[in-house]
Amino acid sequence: MTYWAINAVFLGLVAVTAGAALLLRWVRARAARTSSAPGSLGPVVRAAGLATAVLLVMTAVFDNVMIGVGLVGYDESRISGAFVGIAPLEDFAYAVAALVLLPSVWTLLGSRRETEAAKAAGAREAR
Amino acid sequence: MGFAYLVVLLISIVGMATLDRRFGLFFWRDGWRAFVTLLVGVVFFLIWDIVGIDAGVFFRGETSFMTGVQLAPELPLEEVFFLVLLCWLTMNLLAGSRLVLDARAERRAASAGISTGAGPSPGAGPSTRDGRA
Repeated sequence: MTYWAINAVFLGLVAVTAGAALLLRWVRARAARTSSAPGSLGPVVRAAGLATAVLLVMTAVFDNVMIGVGLVGYDESRISGAFVGIAPLEDFAYAVAALVLLPSVWTLLGSRRETEAAKAAGAREAR
Repeated sequence: MGFAYLVVLLISIVGMATLDRRFGLFFWRDGWRAFVTLLVGVVFFLIWDIVGIDAGVFFRGETSFMTGVQLAPELPLEEVFFLVLLCWLTMNLLAGSRLVLDARAERRAASAGISTGAGPSPGAGPSTRDGRA
């Protein structure tokens, strides 16, 4: 099994979690349809873009240092051969997964309380 | 046997906690939710690591910077701390970016003389409570 094949499986799981979180967000927004509370995704997307840029740069720097000082090694027959410095491109899948999985889990965990709050807000405005 | 890598990771984690506490980013926003999110993340990445190690994709380097303690074959103790750092950093960055961008938008709106309606505007609020209202 290659590094990319393994990454595909785990990134798939991340995508499913993200889908569930987006669905929940949509349901919440509908519950509070008349209120402006959960609002647009614009600011969230912009913040995610900035965080992604910073984390990818940090990953490039630290992964190169970690591999450079010999903390970790790779079987060259199982990686694609695409590198950022001396870091295999595949390693960046961890950073991408963290950026999508963690806020998704965070959203899913807040489900009950925030759905109730959204419903309450919706009901208040409907009156 | 070395502690250099573990110490560097612990210092970085303390840095994450400091930023989190100062700006209320993750644990200081909702402790229980943050704990579960971090736990899910670390366990998820550990499984990813173990699958990678099992498939022979990567392995622990022979270095004097690590303690040599292994949680599983080729899985160093340090990896758990690395993953805690990665997850905490990610959530701090996401919340911190939002704070930075919101603050910038607010400053812009303020300098343009428009009220965003977000957050208290100077002069409003407290002054209505001291009898001058």
